Amino acid sequence: MSKKFFLTKNGLSRIEREYQELLKLKAFKTKGESPRIFHSEEVDPEFLAFQEDLELLETRIVELELVLKNVQMIVPPAKDKQNIVDLGSTIVVEIDGQQDEFRIVGTLEANPAMGNISNECLVGKKILGHKIDDEVVIGSDPKIIYKIKEIRYEELC
Amino acid sequence: MKNFVNFFNNIGKLRKIPRRGSVLIGSKQPSNISDHLFRTAIMAWTLGKEKKNLNLRKVLEIALVHDFCELYVGDKSPYDYMATLPKDKKKWPDIFDKWPRYSLVEKEKMALEKRKKEGKALDKLIQSLPPKIRKSLKSNWLEYENNLTKEAKFVKQVNRLEALLQALEHGQEEKIRVYKSWWIGSREKIDDPILIKFMSSLAKEFKTKK
Repeated sequence: MSKKFFLTKNGLSRIEREYQELLKLKAFKTKGESPRIFHSEEVDPEFLAFQEDLELLETRIVELELVLKNVQMIVPPAKDKQNIVDLGSTIVVEIDGQQDEFRIVGTLEANPAMGNISNECLVGKKILGHKIDDEVVIGSDPKIIYKIKEIRYEELC
Repeated sequence: MKNFVNFFNNIGKLRKIPRRGSVLIGSKQPSNISDHLFRTAIMAWTLGKEKKNLNLRKVLEIALVHDFCELYVGDKSPYDYMATLPKDKKKWPDIFDKWPRYSLVEKEKMALEKRKKEGKALDKLIQSLPPKIRKSLKSNWLEYENNLTKEAKFVKQVNRLEALLQALEHGQEEKIRVYKSWWIGSREKIDDPILIKFMSSLAKEFKTKK
């Protein structure tokens, strides 16, 4: 069975947009041209890497097709389940007396520097399914306790 | 070829830039950016071989380029973004046992500022190179910074593990305490199954050696 790719609405739009742009780019390249729009990195830096190398471009297109075929949308749970940490939730936790805030997302959208942590990392995996005031123990040496202070579901950007 | 000579000369200077994490924990022999780039590349390449469908050429390119910009902006640790580190170094161990915590808004702001500064620094470093090479270096860095592809995500996580390994080595060789934050940050950032396995091996291996 193929792996499911969990994506928010915005994450899916980004993937779809990239896929469409890369298809266009491939069409131009196979005709021996290069679309002017891609010449400026300010216009769309995301696709720069694939400009020079057709093989890389084709690999990325296949990769995106696989994602789009196996996508599982992240949708907010029913109101009575919104007190439980699930994919797409934003949580406030207390760790060693400090507060932190994360969004729990699928691996494709994970970007810890921006506060989006993956449901497949050790913290993400363990914290899923917990409720407010639960203390989630991560690791043994060192053992760190994440106390859940707040859970909310909002539109991801 | 003068432009290449200048570029290689500048890349050589990365040897002289110490890794901020090593300095903060008080290492007498801190690692430097060149060491870090080299070992991150080796780790990403060899561990990447354990995975299916990773483009290893891309992995290597990203790993080698990812910290070039530090020639001009220096290496920063997550603690450098805090208002201030206390002047009294005796207070540092308590601080380093905790991972610096920020709100979502602060995280996004810091990440965007960092990307902007580092992008400018990279542009300065590569400005005299031929456009095709410049573009390739910049696109690999952008891919890494924007966490765009599976290769970039993989290298980013290996980057974290290289720093963790370095901290463990400092602990062993120089009897410096390995602060909890090295583990905490890694547990929140690493989601690749092979790298999670590797992280757990690191824990076991260095525990045995204590």
